[in-house]
Amino acid sequence: MTNRLLAGLVVLVCGATSSWGQGRQEASSAREVLDRYCVTCHNTRLETGGLALDTVDPRHVGEDAAIWEKVLGKLRTGMMPPTRRPRPDRETYTTLIAYFENALDQVAAHHPDPGRPVVHRLNRAEYTNAIRDLLGLEVDGRLLLPPDESGFGFDNIGDVLSVSPGLLERYLLAAAKISRQVVGDPTLPPTTATYRTSPLLAQNARVSDALPFGSRGGLAVEHHFPLDGEYVLRVGLRGRARAPHQLEVRVDRERVGQFELGNREPLEVRLPINAGARQVGVSFVGGIGQSLPIDGRPERPPITSFAFTLYPNAPSVERLDIVGPFDGVVPADTPSRRRVFTCHPTEDSALAEEACATEILTQLATRGYRRPATSADVDGLLAAFGAGRDEGGFEDGIRWAIEALLVSPKFLFRIEQQPDTVTAGSPYRIQDVDLASRLSFFLWSSIPDDELIELAGRGALSEPTELGRQVRRLLADPRAQALVDNFAGQWLYLRNLRGVAPDATQFPEFDDNLRLALRRETELFFASQLRDDRSVRELLSADYTFVNERLARHYGIPNIYGNHFRRVSLVNSPRAGLLGHGSVLTVTSYPHRTSPVVRGKWLLENLFGAPPPPPPSDVPGLDESTNTERAVGMRERMAQHRANAVCASCHAHIDPLGFALENFDAVGRWRVTSGVNQTPIDASGALPDGTSFDGPAAFRAALLQEPWVGEFTRTATEKLLTYALGRGLEHYDAPAVRRIMRESAPQEYRWSALIEGIVTSVPFQMRRAEGLASN
Amino acid sequence: MIITKRHLPRRTMLRGLGATVALPFLDGMVPALKPLRATAAQPARRFGAIYVPNGVEMRAWTPADHGHKLQLSPILQPLAPVRDQVCVLSGLADKPAIPREGEGVGDHARAAATWLTGVHAKKTEGPDIRAGVSIDQIVAREFGKETQLSSLELAIDSVEVLGACDQGYSCAYANTVAWRNPTTPLPMENDPRAVFERLFGATDSTDVAARLARLQQDRSILDFVGDEASILERRLGAGDRLKLTQYLDAVRDVERRIQTAEEQSDREMPVVDRPVGIPGTFEAHVRLMFDLLALAYQTDLTRVSTFMFGREVSGRSFPEIGVPGGHHGYSHHQNDANNLAMLAKINTHHVTQFGYFLEKLAATPDGDGTLLDHSLFLYGSGISDGNLHFHLDLPTLVAGGSAGHLQGGRHLQYPTETPLANLHLTLLDKLGLPAEQFGDSHGMLEYLGEV
Repeated sequence: MTNRLLAGLVVLVCGATSSWGQGRQEASSAREVLDRYCVTCHNTRLETGGLALDTVDPRHVGEDAAIWEKVLGKLRTGMMPPTRRPRPDRETYTTLIAYFENALDQVAAHHPDPGRPVVHRLNRAEYTNAIRDLLGLEVDGRLLLPPDESGFGFDNIGDVLSVSPGLLERYLLAAAKISRQVVGDPTLPPTTATYRTSPLLAQNARVSDALPFGSRGGLAVEHHFPLDGEYVLRVGLRGRARAPHQLEVRVDRERVGQFELGNREPLEVRLPINAGARQVGVSFVGGIGQSLPIDGRPERPPITSFAFTLYPNAPSVERLDIVGPFDGVVPADTPSRRRVFTCHPTEDSALAEEACATEILTQLATRGYRRPATSADVDGLLAAFGAGRDEGGFEDGIRWAIEALLVSPKFLFRIEQQPDTVTAGSPYRIQDVDLASRLSFFLWSSIPDDELIELAGRGALSEPTELGRQVRRLLADPRAQALVDNFAGQWLYLRNLRGVAPDATQFPEFDDNLRLALRRETELFFASQLRDDRSVRELLSADYTFVNERLARHYGIPNIYGNHFRRVSLVNSPRAGLLGHGSVLTVTSYPHRTSPVVRGKWLLENLFGAPPPPPPSDVPGLDESTNTERAVGMRERMAQHRANAVCASCHAHIDPLGFALENFDAVGRWRVTSGVNQTPIDASGALPDGTSFDGPAAFRAALLQEPWVGEFTRTATEKLLTYALGRGLEHYDAPAVRRIMRESAPQEYRWSALIEGIVTSVPFQMRRAEGLASN
Repeated sequence: MIITKRHLPRRTMLRGLGATVALPFLDGMVPALKPLRATAAQPARRFGAIYVPNGVEMRAWTPADHGHKLQLSPILQPLAPVRDQVCVLSGLADKPAIPREGEGVGDHARAAATWLTGVHAKKTEGPDIRAGVSIDQIVAREFGKETQLSSLELAIDSVEVLGACDQGYSCAYANTVAWRNPTTPLPMENDPRAVFERLFGATDSTDVAARLARLQQDRSILDFVGDEASILERRLGAGDRLKLTQYLDAVRDVERRIQTAEEQSDREMPVVDRPVGIPGTFEAHVRLMFDLLALAYQTDLTRVSTFMFGREVSGRSFPEIGVPGGHHGYSHHQNDANNLAMLAKINTHHVTQFGYFLEKLAATPDGDGTLLDHSLFLYGSGISDGNLHFHLDLPTLVAGGSAGHLQGGRHLQYPTETPLANLHLTLLDKLGLPAEQFGDSHGMLEYLGEV
């Protein structure tokens, strides 16, 4: 027994010794490699690229971890040494990378630095979701709050989420509106809410799944009716209201009004509607009169709107006004009243009211402040309640308290309390209540639910099995759609689709139906990848997508009819994978043409984590005498980039990636020629490591090989970690990224593996204490 | 937004009902309102700075001749009706925007960040952004003492554009020109509805009594959250405390605004409808924002503003005036005739809207003159030639009479590399806020002072 233990100990000691010995040997050969290939430029005298490698010691990587992580980045993609310099062989690269990664990871294991995310203001999306989950009320955050500043590609970065007087005023206004909607205010005066359609929306077919089959055009909106009362629904048209068109209005799919156009009757209906969120739909009935065939695209239309030029005489719905409430009364029951009023004062006494208010506000404070409410929390809200009750009774009191809660810094900021016991500058494990918030804001962009808070309240959430169970539960919840909207929407630039304006003379068919469809396609695709828990690498390779009739026509996919989206196979199609999505291809184009530079840069930056360095400030413009008419092929124009040596050093990496996608035009349509001269598209090129390709399919295949597929996985992980932490990544996060990748490799980098890896990582579970470390 | 042309009772209501037409929405305003400052001995003075991104096609901007007879260049033609109130200044330079050793590109971010500050912006994407306090905010500190809002920051572009910030520079640098202090850039508002609510409150149809009740409730909520924030602030470490301090500053600022609003609650307010949202076209959007700004000046809710026609690097296209491609793309014109023509079209389109605003102010009586007589506007960019990101010989003009302190109808040529900050220093002086130095200034501009 003793012997065996001793033997084990010896093995352990020897193992340690030998790996240390080996480490030292590797370190000295690392020094040799650096001296031979790198130090010629990167030395203290020249400091090329601000880097000197002669004075740093590869034996003690911990001392200059930031520098070595930077070196690793260049080595992994073979960016350094530059192509014209002597380069080591493949094996030397691999060994050197492995040495540095291991050494850095070991240092990190002994001295983890989890970083220190600052106090984090809820951004607009998080605020909107928090209102939904706290008060059971769907609001349109875009109408209530300004957009947030973003950093590192995301708008949930704590550092840049600031508060200005203007923003605080918006919070006050929002809180007043929301608390009124939640409680109901019988003195609410009638107001007009207006919903408009875009003039670029073609209203020749069914435009929304919320409208009846066989309907045409119009719009469907989710409107919150604040009180039980009468409301006026009024429709405004573009074009003349003429026969034989018929229009109908529906509330929650039930027809409440029908109009024969041309009768000169006002297009409005007044009717009683009960409080709550309801769907209001307006659409035409039956087919369009004298319409042109849908593909009968007029040549170069003189005006910009596709919808106008195709159907110059047919009326379309321009707006829907909802006016009210008239004679409104506070409803007895709505989802948000049910959620808030968990009790009612049992008798008409101040004591009974206070008891019920305490119950209600304790619950709201626990959810809203995302931790078990303290008596100080509740006392503050009770004071607001008291002031409101004195003005207008019990319900007004609750309304005032909700209003106060929604402006409270405890609600608006995520503040992670640091235990008094931790030493300055040292890492500590965050408390369970803070972990609950990190988890729910990561996966739901919202506040934790009761189950998370309950678990956290008794310290059971951080227990590994429980944590795993909770991650899976949160991912299975519909609220995880937030990952698609907020993470994918920003990572892949989908949110930019709203603002793109392709040149109407070249792309007259780019209507809003297409704009919406492009975004929807990628959202559905990303959601399906998440739901089916596919490998993150399938984003590049998946041989299916989602289309509706409008998008299928755009892509040239036959036999797809109707407005709803369905899954279609892309086996053997050059469009397979994310790089064939019209959304991505459009947001990386200029309004009037494709740009291989923009696309190449986007790929390097967002998918392969190798942003090209900014062009030097003294670079002259392209040669001024050359003819840049549209007749000249894109490739010739870009060749000018590379004629100049300064430009060439970077554009040789950037441009080929963009050229690989030249078969997709500026709105993502397939093409084989470009320009008025019908220049054939040449989509051949080579990756920075020399792998050559011709066309998007071959390009995709090349990207699915190492090192590219590895860099893609790393970049996806880094983006997701940035989003999860709400801060930019630093060099000390690199070991965590490597760990997540290592541990999710056996599961083929499935989304669940990456997400669990993030949730259990050092930066997600820990925080660095305030101040400088004493050592 | 509709202004009704009837005489208004002393205490009026904001109307909430009825159809809302977008444009031209304030045409009815002038006859309906009595000049607010008519009885004041001294007219209030207003200041505004209007920014255009991506530089300007200088060959079509610079007036042919200089001196006392301003000959309007093609881009400046739309200002003909107010020519006498316009002074074009050539030769000024935004040298703080020039990259320092090793900074590389980022000229767009630096141009916007330095334009009103005169201070080189720190290159960073992190929280440690730093420029200088902008001239509008220096003016706002003083002028804002008497108004409910110390300043308004308006823009047309949304900041929701991903991946369109200068590399290595925080997006904040390109998104605003207004800096409250060297570390606090002020966000700009592009939604007319939000601007309206800031000016007149959120309640769609309240009379003054209801508005006062609302203010009182806001005040009690601010008391409550101010207390909570102070307690939290004390418990936090230095780094975390920063955000709470920012929050508390905002609380105090809004409290001060409420107090001013209460003191001024008997003031006559126009009957206006709340705008619905962002209009569909650029021109309609700009004009609506200018209408709101004119209204804010006229009702004396603020005396200071900044306005951005676009954020730096803006790639907006203008199909409605025959400009199909993106603004930023054309600004890198490579001396191509078509690109230059497109750029000039965009520049002219901007000036046309500015002219609309100036004419509106010129038609609005204010005290013994017009609003324009008592205003001072700075219009320009931190870049001249966008192709090379050139920061010298900037397109710059000042407009308005500044209550008799400025004589227009001139084109003044200054020696090249004269700091733009010299102009800022001069403007501060004209606004009655003389300073020793501003940014990289080394003195006041000559000739501009001549009246």
